[in-house]
Amino acid sequence: MRSRVACVAVVAAALTCNEGLQPNTCPGICGTVTFRGAPPDSTQAVYIVAYHTFPHSRDSLFTFQPPVGALQALPLDGASAFYALPVDAGRYEWVVAVWVKQGFSLANADSTLREAGYYRDPADPTQPGVVNVNAQQPVSIDFTIDFGQMPPPCRYYDPPCP
Amino acid sequence: MKRLFILTVLAVVPWRAAGAQDRAVIVGTIGDSLGQPLRGVVRVVGTGAMAAADSRGRYRLSVPTGRVIVRVGHIGFAYRVDTVTIAAGDSLERDYRLVSAPVELQPTIVTAAKHSQLLDESATSVAVMNDTDLARRAVLTVDEAVNRAPGVLFLNGQVNIRGSSGFVEGLGSRVLLLVDGVPANQGDRGGIDWDMVPLAEVERVEVVKGAGSSLYGSAAFGGVVNLITHDIPVGWHGRLRATGGAYANPPSEAWRFRDRTGGLGGLDVTGSYGTETLRGSLTLGGRHSDGYREQDRSDQWETAGRAEWLPRPGTRITGSGAWTSHQYEVFPTWCVPGTCSDTRGQAFQPFMIDTSGRGSYTRSNKGYLAATLDRTVSGAFAWRARGSWLRSHFTDYNPDNWSVSDRLGAELTGVLHAAGGDDRVVTVGVEGAHTDITSDIFGDSGRVSSHTQIDVGPYAEAEQRVGRVRLTAGLRLDDIVVDGARKATVLSPRIGAAIRSGVGTWRASAGRGFRAPTLAERYVTTRAFGFEVIPNPDLDPETAWSFELGNGAPIASWGRLEAALFWTEARRLLEPTFVLDGGVQKIQIRNISRARLRGLDASLAVSSLVPGLTSSIAYLLVDARDLTTDAVLSFRPRHVLTLGTDYQWRMLSVGAEFRYTSRIERIELEPVFGRDPRVAAKVLDLRAGWQRGPLSARLLVTNALNYIYNLVPRTLEPVRKSSVVLTWTY
Repeated sequence: MRSRVACVAVVAAALTCNEGLQPNTCPGICGTVTFRGAPPDSTQAVYIVAYHTFPHSRDSLFTFQPPVGALQALPLDGASAFYALPVDAGRYEWVVAVWVKQGFSLANADSTLREAGYYRDPADPTQPGVVNVNAQQPVSIDFTIDFGQMPPPCRYYDPPCP
Repeated sequence: MKRLFILTVLAVVPWRAAGAQDRAVIVGTIGDSLGQPLRGVVRVVGTGAMAAADSRGRYRLSVPTGRVIVRVGHIGFAYRVDTVTIAAGDSLERDYRLVSAPVELQPTIVTAAKHSQLLDESATSVAVMNDTDLARRAVLTVDEAVNRAPGVLFLNGQVNIRGSSGFVEGLGSRVLLLVDGVPANQGDRGGIDWDMVPLAEVERVEVVKGAGSSLYGSAAFGGVVNLITHDIPVGWHGRLRATGGAYANPPSEAWRFRDRTGGLGGLDVTGSYGTETLRGSLTLGGRHSDGYREQDRSDQWETAGRAEWLPRPGTRITGSGAWTSHQYEVFPTWCVPGTCSDTRGQAFQPFMIDTSGRGSYTRSNKGYLAATLDRTVSGAFAWRARGSWLRSHFTDYNPDNWSVSDRLGAELTGVLHAAGGDDRVVTVGVEGAHTDITSDIFGDSGRVSSHTQIDVGPYAEAEQRVGRVRLTAGLRLDDIVVDGARKATVLSPRIGAAIRSGVGTWRASAGRGFRAPTLAERYVTTRAFGFEVIPNPDLDPETAWSFELGNGAPIASWGRLEAALFWTEARRLLEPTFVLDGGVQKIQIRNISRARLRGLDASLAVSSLVPGLTSSIAYLLVDARDLTTDAVLSFRPRHVLTLGTDYQWRMLSVGAEFRYTSRIERIELEPVFGRDPRVAAKVLDLRAGWQRGPLSARLLVTNALNYIYNLVPRTLEPVRKSSVVLTWTY
């Protein structure tokens, strides 16, 4: 009989070894983006990235965090989506949603990437908001992605493209 | 053969005994196998006659003359059934010794067919939880008691029998609740207020599985839960019960939402007095809970009473009622980034609320009054008449809504035992109800208005024994009128058979169930999840054909196996649906789904292998498909497994129960909640008890592993709760 009791206990223990809901800690910057309009049919993906320094040239366009390998595409089938950026502690001048067109490559980046929305300065919504991340206190910021207004990145170069 | 004889006598005698004209007395003692006195209860089966033993185990029971069946019971011990023959004016001494055995094997008497019958005679599956089970589980509320019955699963307070209900956001229930046979679903929403009756009043819970509309009408779509309240013993009796406990804190600091530990507590007092002809009882109680989440406190006051008058043999008049006032904070949904003021960097916060629900609060008052006249005319015929009034009144704050509903019900039932035996039993009756609601949420476009619904349902069921086979056939015709207009006429037939064999009793049944749309479903006008919810007055009843093939068999002297294959074909299921109204997306309840639910419901109870040790295993497999979309039906977990074991040693007992519920594969309103995390539920409950004379103490730790999970969208299920229940019985 002891073996039966032990057997039941083992089964119960085995079934409980998987954990339930776990905290989904924000790894640095996280929040919710709200979508305006529908994503174009040519959409390959939309990513959120963060820049320590605002990219004013094509050379600095790919200096974002997190690394390319850690990028996660946003789910686009809802009215909004939660995002989480695993970034290091520091100051970030631009947290931006990047729309990627099908057929993207580094060679045609100027024509296949678009800025789809960014976190704005609460005091001056015409300007990007600066985000300070420290190891103890992750940052939660929300902003809007507007699929109807997606300027190319060269709009922000110095000088900007026409 | 002897067992067959006892079973036959058990079924026949109540009618004969009740028809006798004089009385006699049985006196004696009740003790355990070591001779220690027990404060057990002695009752005559089929009548209200009962007596409780005193602290020295002595009892005195007034009984009808002739042959009577006496049933002796005590918590933690197997019932004893004794047959005695006694003449008018005589007294007889009987001493009973009970054997420790927490699992009751047989015989069990159920009321699923609107008259008392043995469990083996029922054509459909019935799960029974008696007072021994309830005491051992140390549960505090009725829903906690029902939740662990085989084949039953609660989803955020909504009861499912074999996956019947799913989760319908608080509107409607596909299970009917009866309190001593009186329908007790809410008049407006059709849901169940599980706090309507204090658990202290409940002696037994019977869960009738499968469509039961041939006898019970609307709402018995997926099954019936019947709460049987305590009989009142002769003499003065009382009970004081105090409860205290605490909720565990969130397992992660990131989820912490308060600086202290949440507590709960309660106190209830029951007093009763009975003579041979008059009896009465009253229960008063109150409870407070801090809750286990943010904005989750509740306070509840409750009272219940019962009076019985037995003016002459064979006649009993019963008045009963209960009233509960419950004020509770509402936890609408947990918060996700963008909807709450403090995410602490989390993707979701299961212990915290979204800011739009801050301040949500509900005051809910509900109660019922019922009067019943039972008359046993002869050994062959008895009838019952009852009237009832059920009221529910809730007021919501943020959003502000209110509703008052009154349901007046009446039923007349006659039961004929042809030739005085149970070889042929015919049950005939008619049931009616008038419901009216006044509300600003179930009204017209959000304005205060009233609606009425009238249900009338004549029914008949016949049982015929043919050799080893007991055949059952029944039919009910329900007519539903809403605001003066006939909305539906529904015919609900059922046939069944119970066949005794060398491998237990086989059951087979086929029946139709239905559920009429509630007034709330027809007229609800509110906002939910950011969408407007619009009414649909033209809803039709949802219907189902339910089939079952099962077997219940004793295994030697140490166990009992119950297993049933079930198959339900449902049509026109009512579900909230997104619709386009004037170019705007809104939610409306519509008859849309065809569904199929099939599976296996099995349980094994094991006792007596080791003295004092009992174990049980129950497994429910549900294959539920939405045939309209060819997808898994929402809110139906595929597997539910329950393991339980208890050990009793002298005054002490310990036990454990584990339930596994597989991850819910599909939910409704997927566009809103589809990306939320969902996990399987794995819940371990631990319990311990001590009893000595009139005092008992029970320790219960529910969700002992503090497993964090949810079953419905953005609603956290209870965390670990530790509670102690101290009871003093006089």
